[in-house]
Amino acid sequence: MFKFTTVLLLTTALAAPVMAKDFKFAATTDPQTMDPHAVNSAPVLGFLNNVYEGLVRRGKDMAIEPALATAWEPIGEGEGWRFTLRQDVTFHDGAEFNADDVVFSYKRASDESSDTRSWFAPVSDVVKVDDYTVDIMTNAPNPIFPDSIANWMMMDSGWAEANNAGLPDKEAGNYATLNTNGTGAFKVTAREPGLRTVLEPHGGWWGEVEHNITRAELTPIQNPATSLAALLSGDVDFINPVPIQDVARLKQNRDVSVIQGIEARVIMLGFDQQEGASEGGNGSSDLFLDPKVREAVAKAVNVPAILQTIMRGNAEVASQLVSPAMRGFSAANATPYAYDPEGAKALLEEAGVAGASFDLKCPNNRYLNDEAVCQAITGMLAQAGLSATLDAMPVQNYWPELRADNFDMYLLGWSPGTFDAEHPIRFLGSTPNEEKKLGSWNFGGYSNARIDELLPMIQSEIDDIKRQAMLDEAAKIMQDEVAYVPLYVQPLVWGARSNIELTQRPDNFFILRWVTVN
Amino acid sequence: MNDTPISDSAAPSRVRRALDSDLFYAFRRSPVAVVSTVVALLLILSAVLAPLIAPTNPFDPASLNLMNGFTPPMEPNAFTADSFLMGTDDQGRDVFSTILYGMRISLFVGFAAVMFALVLGIVLGLLSGYMGGWVDTVIMRAADVQLTFPSILVAMLIFGIAKGITPVEYRDQMAIWVLILAIGLSDWVQFARVVRGATLVEKSKDYVAAAQLIGRRPFAIMIRHILPNVLSPVLVIATISLALAIIAEATLSFLGVGAPPTQPSLGTLIRIGQGFLFSGEWWILFFPACTLLALALSVNLLGDWLRDALNPRLK
Amino acid sequence: MLSYILKRIGQSALVLIIVGLVAFSMFRFVGDPIDNMLGQERTMEDVERLRAQLGLDQPFPVQYFKFLSNAAQGNFGVSFRQGRPVADIIAERAPATLELAAVSAILAVGVGIALGVFTAIRRDGFMANFIMSASLIGVSLPTFLIGILLIYVFSVELGWLPSFGRGETVKIGWWTTGLLTESGLKALILPAITLGLYQMTLIMRLVRSEMLEVLRQDYIRFARARGVSERTINFRHALKNTMVPVITIIGLQLGAIIAFAIITETVFQWPGLGLLFINAIQFVDIPVMAAYLMMISLVFVLINLAVDILYAFIDPRLRVSA
Repeated sequence: MFKFTTVLLLTTALAAPVMAKDFKFAATTDPQTMDPHAVNSAPVLGFLNNVYEGLVRRGKDMAIEPALATAWEPIGEGEGWRFTLRQDVTFHDGAEFNADDVVFSYKRASDESSDTRSWFAPVSDVVKVDDYTVDIMTNAPNPIFPDSIANWMMMDSGWAEANNAGLPDKEAGNYATLNTNGTGAFKVTAREPGLRTVLEPHGGWWGEVEHNITRAELTPIQNPATSLAALLSGDVDFINPVPIQDVARLKQNRDVSVIQGIEARVIMLGFDQQEGASEGGNGSSDLFLDPKVREAVAKAVNVPAILQTIMRGNAEVASQLVSPAMRGFSAANATPYAYDPEGAKALLEEAGVAGASFDLKCPNNRYLNDEAVCQAITGMLAQAGLSATLDAMPVQNYWPELRADNFDMYLLGWSPGTFDAEHPIRFLGSTPNEEKKLGSWNFGGYSNARIDELLPMIQSEIDDIKRQAMLDEAAKIMQDEVAYVPLYVQPLVWGARSNIELTQRPDNFFILRWVTVN
Repeated sequence: MNDTPISDSAAPSRVRRALDSDLFYAFRRSPVAVVSTVVALLLILSAVLAPLIAPTNPFDPASLNLMNGFTPPMEPNAFTADSFLMGTDDQGRDVFSTILYGMRISLFVGFAAVMFALVLGIVLGLLSGYMGGWVDTVIMRAADVQLTFPSILVAMLIFGIAKGITPVEYRDQMAIWVLILAIGLSDWVQFARVVRGATLVEKSKDYVAAAQLIGRRPFAIMIRHILPNVLSPVLVIATISLALAIIAEATLSFLGVGAPPTQPSLGTLIRIGQGFLFSGEWWILFFPACTLLALALSVNLLGDWLRDALNPRLK
Repeated sequence: MLSYILKRIGQSALVLIIVGLVAFSMFRFVGDPIDNMLGQERTMEDVERLRAQLGLDQPFPVQYFKFLSNAAQGNFGVSFRQGRPVADIIAERAPATLELAAVSAILAVGVGIALGVFTAIRRDGFMANFIMSASLIGVSLPTFLIGILLIYVFSVELGWLPSFGRGETVKIGWWTTGLLTESGLKALILPAITLGLYQMTLIMRLVRSEMLEVLRQDYIRFARARGVSERTINFRHALKNTMVPVITIIGLQLGAIIAFAIITETVFQWPGLGLLFINAIQFVDIPVMAAYLMMISLVFVLINLAVDILYAFIDPRLRVSA
């Protein structure tokens, strides 16, 4: 009896409500850097959205809303946009935010050393009008410009210069790689790369506080099974992603909730389409110059089977580089490539490359079950008579490998930051052009003159019907030429303890200020 | 060179006597030894004969049907109606076949690593004992250093270096050889020590001096004397090393620095299966883990028993 | 005696220099460090400047000497992946591994010796036989499987213990400790058992066989014949004489524990050196690999040296045979 009471006492003591709302969350990848301009990838930008802010931001429904700018309007006949800045905004270190910081952040984010450079391809200049007004001049009328800069984050010019971090350093890193000074709702109070990152609310934040977090801690847990165990045992309150195979079982557990959605991210296969450019391929580097071979790949891959088994029915087949939820999705080209192994074999015979061998590069910690998907694709290609060698690696090594042209075929996921079909055309469809900041993620060097011609027209077209017609044309060209093989739209699966309330944004950004710990 | 009749007749008979009478008698009387030998042989045999026994070839990507993925053991798949003894993994690979083929890799790596360690150990042990002087010092110091570095660390370092210097398309084939090299390199010391000790004993014997006197190089003669002497301890060490090598291979593959997922060994299978521990597909982890345990345990038991049987005074 | 010790110290230093050479060659030849540090948009001037800055234009022996003298001062360069000095990263991670290793070692030694003595004294008892069989299973189960099993049972099914990480830590100077908080201690239990189990079975089997050997000796029979109590025989005479070889092995196993921590840390996401090292291998982060190698070999060489010197004091005969 005595024993029983002690146990009871102990459990009540452990279960006593914690006054401080400590929130612990885990992710598979640690943000590589704390520098908002150094790496243009979702894990980094998603995390830093809690710390830094842009002129505009996206709300719960992904619509653009005012952030550090309170209002914006086009200048003249589309020469640019005028932003009115919010007053009385302070950075975490107490410095005041004003137009100088915007001009500085433009220079920093559009510099050659910055990974976000291509966002500013349409921009010709950023001019300070007064302390709280800024003009952003564009090369051509750009109706969607405010939509395209939600992730362009403002950094304090004084802080950056005082700490020798005036420009981002992708390779060696600098002060801003480890330290932050934003205007966002949370400030980073401790940063140990690969171990933990601690956030605390920014007392002087300008916005209205919805959350009740007093301290948040991010722990990267690479092993999905470990992170799931951590969620189940209550060691963390939130994990992203939940391993897709565990969704069904997790839904039956009352202590946790699974938050599911469709991400804006399309998973696709890309090809080396440059003559003799591949350094790492094994002898058949010009294999994919022939559109027939690319089409054969498209026919050989049984996407529904991948979705049925590896993704457990939690994803949708993709037909083009954007999902149907995006603005400018081409309904006219919504039919995915059909699975047709015999057709694939015939095409390979026709091209005279049956039995060819090549490398398939794949990340193994970036997308949901990425390595398993690539492995399955290897098998399907083998059935069609193409011998692919799978080379899977962590994402930290993956991008450098792709940038160095060390591939024949690769897996890529693309989530349009603007939620618009123009975005992947600019990054993945245009001929790579360093000067114009175009095609910066078009690793394979796909090139079509008409696409290059269409892009600026799409960018400056204000009439929705005309714009859609051009987007349809671009989607059709890329589909016909099999520039990429779109596979599926990645599902979003978050897991949280049931006492957590949160909002899931379709771009897979986890926004801390929408979290309530009950 | 001519034969040396004395040593020739002595050595084989000693070997035969040890194997035929004492050892075999003790063997038959020990149920543990018999059972573990039978289990080990059964596992080894089924691995060797995998292409004949296994219903499918899991290493041939063209033969896989993804729709068979996650089929539970002994239940027909919902789409293809195929049924599998131990179910299938996420790629639709038959777990039973994959275990058989995976065991081939595990055993191949294990045996090859032990052979490598054995040859290296015997050669270095002989050299060290026979030459003496600075050769002995260098080899034995190297052995000390080697002994202090756990195999797993050596293996990972070799793997890390190899990964940095080999081109991608050879990486998969290379992984197996790196495993063998790495595990073997960390295991030679015990062999070398035993052989060195035996060599030192033989070196002081009269016939060696005699051989030297009549101008013969006694090295070849010595080898014939030494090898039979060290046969039993080497056998014991080899058996226990085999168990250790199998576990080391599994561990390295589990850590992702071993056999690639397209050609999984038992360790790779366990790594893959771990991802499905919570989702209910227990068979992907369970069967490979049991196989690994059975393999390592039976070899370990055998080694343990051999040690006692061959040298009752030794613990 | 003194010359023996000096010789051993000299040999240890030589070993460290050789390991240093391996580490340095790794740094120098595995992948071009310039390639790793400059982006694709580098210019020839950038390359030349960095080459000179890193001293890569100098002859190999000069570079090697520089590397060694830098390493001796704890300077291993900058991690390719994290862009921070490797020494800082290692200092940050070391406490986690050392605490885990220490607790595992205490567990392995304590339980191992106790079980070893027990199984030796109750040689043919049921419990002793059971423990012996169980220990073989323990040796045959890879560490990682034990870890997964423990997580599944104690964290997920029973929910008693945390499944990953160190729990809450307290900072004492640069050292972070998990030993002072409840969550830190709880987080330590499963990894410590996982890491210590293998060494525990080793020590137990060793103690048992040494003990059996000693119990067979004449002086023990003598003592028994003289009517000395069983307890005094077992613990005063037998155990004491068993300890010399056992201590040697324990010394060597300490190093092994630190190295085997790699596996345990991976399974439990324990933020120590092992996890750092395995990540460094995956990312080909050579400076971190080289530093880890140097550090671990320093630990091993020191332990070895201590054992050798200890031996020399205990057993003068050993000075002669190498």
